[in-house]
Amino acid sequence: MVKIVEAKSVTKDFGESGIITRALRGVDLVLMAGEFTSMAGPSGSGKTTLLNIIGGLDRPTSGTVSIEGNEIHQLSAGQLSRLRRDRIGFIFQSYNLIPVLTALENAEYVLMIQNVAKEERRERVLRVLKEVGLEGLEHRFPRELSGGQQQRVAIARAIAPEPALILADEPTANVDSETAGSLMDLLRRLNEEKGMTFLFSTHDQAVMRRAGRLIRLQDGRIIEDNLQTGNR
Amino acid sequence: MIFRVAWRSIWRNRRRTLITTASIALGLVIAIFFIAMAEGVYEQIVNDGVRMQAGHITLENPEYQTAPAIDLRIGDVDGIRNQIKKIKAVEETKLLIWGQGVANSGAGAVGVSIMGVEPAVEIKYSPLAREIVAGAYLANDDDRKAVLGEHLAKELKLEPGSKIVITTNNARGELVAELCRVKGIFRTGSDEIDGYFIQIPLNFARRVFGLQADEATQLGVILKRPGDQQVVMKEIKTMVGGKNIAVLPWQQILPEVASYIRIDRVSNWVFQGLLFVIILFTILNTLLMSVMEREREFAVLLALGTPVRKLKGQLFLESVFIGCLGCLVGLTLGGAAAFALQIWGLDLAFLMPEGVTISGFAVSTTVHALVTLPVFLWTGGIVLGAMLLLSLLIMRRVRRVRLAETLR
Repeated sequence: MVKIVEAKSVTKDFGESGIITRALRGVDLVLMAGEFTSMAGPSGSGKTTLLNIIGGLDRPTSGTVSIEGNEIHQLSAGQLSRLRRDRIGFIFQSYNLIPVLTALENAEYVLMIQNVAKEERRERVLRVLKEVGLEGLEHRFPRELSGGQQQRVAIARAIAPEPALILADEPTANVDSETAGSLMDLLRRLNEEKGMTFLFSTHDQAVMRRAGRLIRLQDGRIIEDNLQTGNR
Repeated sequence: MIFRVAWRSIWRNRRRTLITTASIALGLVIAIFFIAMAEGVYEQIVNDGVRMQAGHITLENPEYQTAPAIDLRIGDVDGIRNQIKKIKAVEETKLLIWGQGVANSGAGAVGVSIMGVEPAVEIKYSPLAREIVAGAYLANDDDRKAVLGEHLAKELKLEPGSKIVITTNNARGELVAELCRVKGIFRTGSDEIDGYFIQIPLNFARRVFGLQADEATQLGVILKRPGDQQVVMKEIKTMVGGKNIAVLPWQQILPEVASYIRIDRVSNWVFQGLLFVIILFTILNTLLMSVMEREREFAVLLALGTPVRKLKGQLFLESVFIGCLGCLVGLTLGGAAAFALQIWGLDLAFLMPEGVTISGFAVSTTVHALVTLPVFLWTGGIVLGAMLLLSLLIMRRVRRVRLAETLR
């Protein structure tokens, strides 16, 4: 299997003027292609920090992170930006859709900045929107969609470019439990059908149960890393 | 899609965009209206001044300007005039004989400026000929007739039909006195012109000053378009080359007027500029607020892999759209207001009941704007340029967005 993410001895400190908060304390993590991994842990355990560092949104204080063999600390800002655009998909807790674009336009945004031809990206995005259950809602603006529908648009935006890795920070935190369940089923289905690698953080027990691999963080350290039988 | 995002983004906060657009438009309306009004006043001053005197271009003895004297005249004026009239840009030519003397009546004597004129041309072009308040203006076949200013008439207790004696030195240096009658009295509003100015027919002036039939102190040229001045001057200079004749622009004949216009124009632009700088700060504040409010959105776009230059381009486009909208509205409204002022004019007599004089020339209290393309291009260009500069300041904020912190 192909190694998608490899984090070695990653630490991350926040703060200045002598008051330092250590958010990550030497995290080692390897994600293989096609894994469906959930990170759990209490608030402040370092889940979001680790996701940000793996996604190239933040730099580690020490240690290294590689995405498909590219050590991200060695990349320039432009190269890192291209890596995020081409190889990583993001799903945020609060959806973070572009409010002035329709569901269709939001979903095709990354393809647009990848310079994919208009006809091709339209075709791909329409297919993806159908896959995530948004057929018929393509021309609605985010304000015209429910929370669950907005998160589906965000999922469509993340998977449309078919990245190697999808990072999701508490993707079900802002939706009710029923919607959360269906969103997780959707992510799981995409993982199984398309072989996409997922890493998401969550507090939700039901979400954790659906993961193929469960990592628990506490005080910036991985304290548990288990494969979950039946979900692999 | 960047165009679409930029265009829709500016309408996300409709009220803010409308306020920004209105600020730009208001600045432009004020600038265009007042600049066009000032240009209209300048044109009026120049037109009235130059038409009352010797036109946009004056031909005279090279020494006349430094030491005006009646013996410094030019000859063969009819021949030169006929040649000049063939130039397409020339609307009219006029002859003047200008000297100094004393006007005497039974009530006293006053030192005066005496101008011999061609009445038919003056009636057509000189504002003075239209300001007769008693009697009538001169006619071409008048002899021993004079029109004079209201203050002078009052001081010498003259009215139309009264006798007046003009005493002066002629071109041979002899003291001469000629009797004539007052035909009309004018009121221009200028103390200098109304108090010390007399016009008499050209042929009578030749007799008074002892000049030959083809002599005058000035040959004036009135142009169809003042902008052709330099080209026509060059042509006339070639025409009279070899003769002892200076070809001068009106700016040299009326330096005070030219200086006044220059200074007033600069101060007007500076004033409008300062006003616009104040407006620009308001716009900068609004744009900055709109960017700061959207830092999370920018962080998302950057996180998704949007190149920084593309995001900057989007912000640049937003500024361009707002700037263009403001310009469109401002240029349209400002242009319409200025154009209305050009057609109908605005009588400011209620603000200036005693009238206005600039460098000794009475200026009409009814102001008309002069709408020209350069005013639109300059003001619009400056506003757009300023907006683009502001957008550069705004764009710098994109680099400062910290992704992880902003998305937290």
